[in-house]
Amino acid sequence: MNSAKKIVLAEDNSMLSMVLKFRLEKEGYKLLVAADGKEALELIELHNPELILTDIMMPFVSGLEVISHVRNKLNLQTPIVVFSAAGQEKIVLQAFDLGATDFMTKPLSPNELVLRIKRLLR
Amino acid sequence: MLNYIFQILIDLFHYLFLVYTVSSIAFYLILTAISELETREYKRKNSYVNYKEIMSSSKSPSISIIAPAYNESLNIVENVRSLLSNHYVNYDVIIVNDGSKDDSLEKLISVYNLVPVDLLINEQIPTMPLRHGVFKSTNPAFEKLIVVDKENGGKSDALNTGLNISTSEFVACIDVDCLLLEDSLQKMIKPFLESTDKIVIAAGGVIRISNSCIVKDGKLHDVNFPTKLLEQGQILEYIRAFLLGRMAWSRLNGLLVISGAFGLFDKKLALKVGGYDRNTVGEDMELVVRMRGYMEEQKIDYRVAYIPDPLCWTEAPDSYKIFISQRNRWTRGTIETLKKHRNIGFNSKYNLLGMLSYPYWFFYERMAPIIEFVGIIYFGILIITDKIRWDYAFSFIILAYLFTVVFSLIALITEETTYNQYKKKGTGVKLVKIAFLEPFVIHPFVLYAAIKGNIDYYFNKKKKWGEMTRKGMTKA
Amino acid sequence: MSIYHDLIDYLKESPLIIQILWIMTGLFIIIIIFLIFRLRSLRKGLRSKGRTIALYEKKYEAYLLNYLYSESDEEISASQKVIISQLKKSTKDPFIRKILLSLLVKLKQEVSGEISDSVQRLYFQIGLVDYAVARLYHKKWYVIAKGIRELNQFQVKAAHDDVMMHINHPRREVRKEMQLYMVNLFHAEGLNFLAQLEMQLSEWDQIQLLRVLQQLENQENLNIKSWLKSNNHSIVCFALKLAEIYSDIESIDEILKLLHHIEQRIRVESIRVLSVLNAVQAKYILKADIESRSTEEQIAFFAMMENLFDVSDESFISAYVDHPVFEIKVSALKILKVINRAKFDALKTESTDPHFLRIITFIEKN
Repeated sequence: MNSAKKIVLAEDNSMLSMVLKFRLEKEGYKLLVAADGKEALELIELHNPELILTDIMMPFVSGLEVISHVRNKLNLQTPIVVFSAAGQEKIVLQAFDLGATDFMTKPLSPNELVLRIKRLLR
Repeated sequence: MLNYIFQILIDLFHYLFLVYTVSSIAFYLILTAISELETREYKRKNSYVNYKEIMSSSKSPSISIIAPAYNESLNIVENVRSLLSNHYVNYDVIIVNDGSKDDSLEKLISVYNLVPVDLLINEQIPTMPLRHGVFKSTNPAFEKLIVVDKENGGKSDALNTGLNISTSEFVACIDVDCLLLEDSLQKMIKPFLESTDKIVIAAGGVIRISNSCIVKDGKLHDVNFPTKLLEQGQILEYIRAFLLGRMAWSRLNGLLVISGAFGLFDKKLALKVGGYDRNTVGEDMELVVRMRGYMEEQKIDYRVAYIPDPLCWTEAPDSYKIFISQRNRWTRGTIETLKKHRNIGFNSKYNLLGMLSYPYWFFYERMAPIIEFVGIIYFGILIITDKIRWDYAFSFIILAYLFTVVFSLIALITEETTYNQYKKKGTGVKLVKIAFLEPFVIHPFVLYAAIKGNIDYYFNKKKKWGEMTRKGMTKA
Repeated sequence: MSIYHDLIDYLKESPLIIQILWIMTGLFIIIIIFLIFRLRSLRKGLRSKGRTIALYEKKYEAYLLNYLYSESDEEISASQKVIISQLKKSTKDPFIRKILLSLLVKLKQEVSGEISDSVQRLYFQIGLVDYAVARLYHKKWYVIAKGIRELNQFQVKAAHDDVMMHINHPRREVRKEMQLYMVNLFHAEGLNFLAQLEMQLSEWDQIQLLRVLQQLENQENLNIKSWLKSNNHSIVCFALKLAEIYSDIESIDEILKLLHHIEQRIRVESIRVLSVLNAVQAKYILKADIESRSTEEQIAFFAMMENLFDVSDESFISAYVDHPVFEIKVSALKILKVINRAKFDALKTESTDPHFLRIITFIEKN
């Protein structure tokens, strides 16, 4: 059996990231949690995860910048799922322009997230 | 007989001096009390606002950020990046390159993939002509950016060009090197949308000093307290002015100044009154006074709003030379504005504006350095002629000093209970220290600069124009 | 001791004013010492408060996670019961209640589905809802506002009547929370509070309400027509926005009547919305009396014409190509260019005014 698939989660709401970490680790993934975009980039460069989950609005480095960095600077094709709030359609479009793979609107359902992750990592 | 008259004059002088001192102390105390009330109210009101909600609405009104730039090549790319990262949905950024002689434009073109665009501009305010024209980005990530390249005409002229070009309902006029926090626009727009009984014509923000703070990628990462006394003193000055002074004036709806570094205006009204005045170095104050005057004349109920949150951070002068020339310019701006609008002063037709705001500014801002200067000279004469009553002089000076310290400390406490920006351990001692030192390390230079500003204004008119066409950035 | 006596003697012999000055000096020194200590304790307090909050947050985060993931098939598992009774006890302390609430809210806002449901259930089980309802009867407006917001966040529909009571509360913050509660929980039906609203609905309120409405899935049953008839002008403005967003063709007749509303702001908005709704009837009504209308209305009308013109408008439009108002002139020229290109081109050769030529050249190219 190969080791658990690694997922980097960038989310500034600590409560949410804890819940998601708990839920996803139950599914057998290894979660690396970052509180902002900057930390996320460090984790991505260090661990080269199989999937990236990122909130769009974060302090210091936004989700958009995370995507752009991963795609253009690191030249990685890792799937990226962005979390956006309702009404941020414009920003979601920008995220797709920059190379996001999928998006989910907050409030998000952990079960649906699991489904999407399974599909992406199949 | 002559001696007698002379004695009366001297007595009268003493008397006026005393009245002035006592009244200014009373004013300060009243303003402080009002500002404390207003601060509490503001904090309470704002704990109910979810700014994340308003910014995501596509129905929120459009705002243009207008930022004039003159020879800012060194930082322009970063500055623009910072302006583009605001979280508001419906806004654009208009950079007006005011005839820069450096490579600002070239840098912007290459970094932001700019191409020239054809734009039909309704020139409601006459300005200097365009030079290389208007540019927009081909990269969708920078679709909010508009760069205008024009012949040099000074800060006011550049802002007016921005006003002509903007298609938004509101304009945020700022200094290009200002660092705006990401939620600054939604906080500034709120009073305009919230008021139902009065028309809000403008909103002013607080300017904070970013010296020694850590800024990365156009964002504020860490707030530090600088080490130089000059910088520390200015921080104290700003806290005092913004958290006590302006807060109180906004409660009274008597605010006369909106910092040129960050202010939001109703564009239609700004255009209607003719935009920024190109003939003053105090264009930020002048516009507000003119807009207010207009509203009073039209007899429309209006308000100038004020947002005390630390939304805009900027670098303050770190050398006495630059500091003095900045304050010299402010002094002249105040004199020019008050002189231009002297019809408003002491005119009951203008209500509070004419009967309170204007007189206050005239006596306690514009005249204060002159009165202080005369006082010092008089003091000197008394010493020379050996007529001085040292017990009087001594107790007076000590009392004045202690009053300043009390006032500063109250300002610091307000800062702690509201925004608490200097959280680090050990900064408290430094803050208290500077409250005691400020009258020695800042005030004398402010006084000197103000006197010099008066002299320049009355006897050195040539200086003014050269400065204005070149740059004339006003901070705070 | 003699220095002290000397000082006292000196003061006693001094004139009154000097005495007053020295007394005030003494007073100021005391004030300064007090202020410095106050500043010190404030700074210390703030720092330790931050630490305490972080500590408690960690503790209760753990509780919550435990609760959420010890869900079993039965209604409430045994371990959950323990957590509930523990939390119930600790939330008697307002400080802890605040921390716990903020954690719950944070989670509720970001997750949906089964976790969101459990959070909600927990909110009731701990009894937090009772505190919130009690707040609605508090004297202070900001306590009421906070209470309503909380009931909104935790979707406590049962508090409808207690919340509705504040419909015309003098503080706009309270009214706003009340309005959001209604729309968030009762959707289109919730908007019926508009019928009873006597106070003005600010732009800020309107934007917030629209944002909530736009997130809802079904949009039917909006009573737009009746709100357009409201005596409260702010409600009319809001109804116009709704008509625009939901392209409500049925309210066109009602909006046409608003073209003669007493308030200019509403007339201008009506023109704009009618244009969006492609209501050609409006064109004929406005063409008849456009000269007597304000500049703002005229500008809005010409913007509408750009959208709704036809060939028969040529003579009408031609009269406005020299209009002094920039926007009107530009609109007229744009329309003319489409209706009659030859006439448009002729204007170019006829005029020598550089401003006019600049506009013509621009429209020609774009």
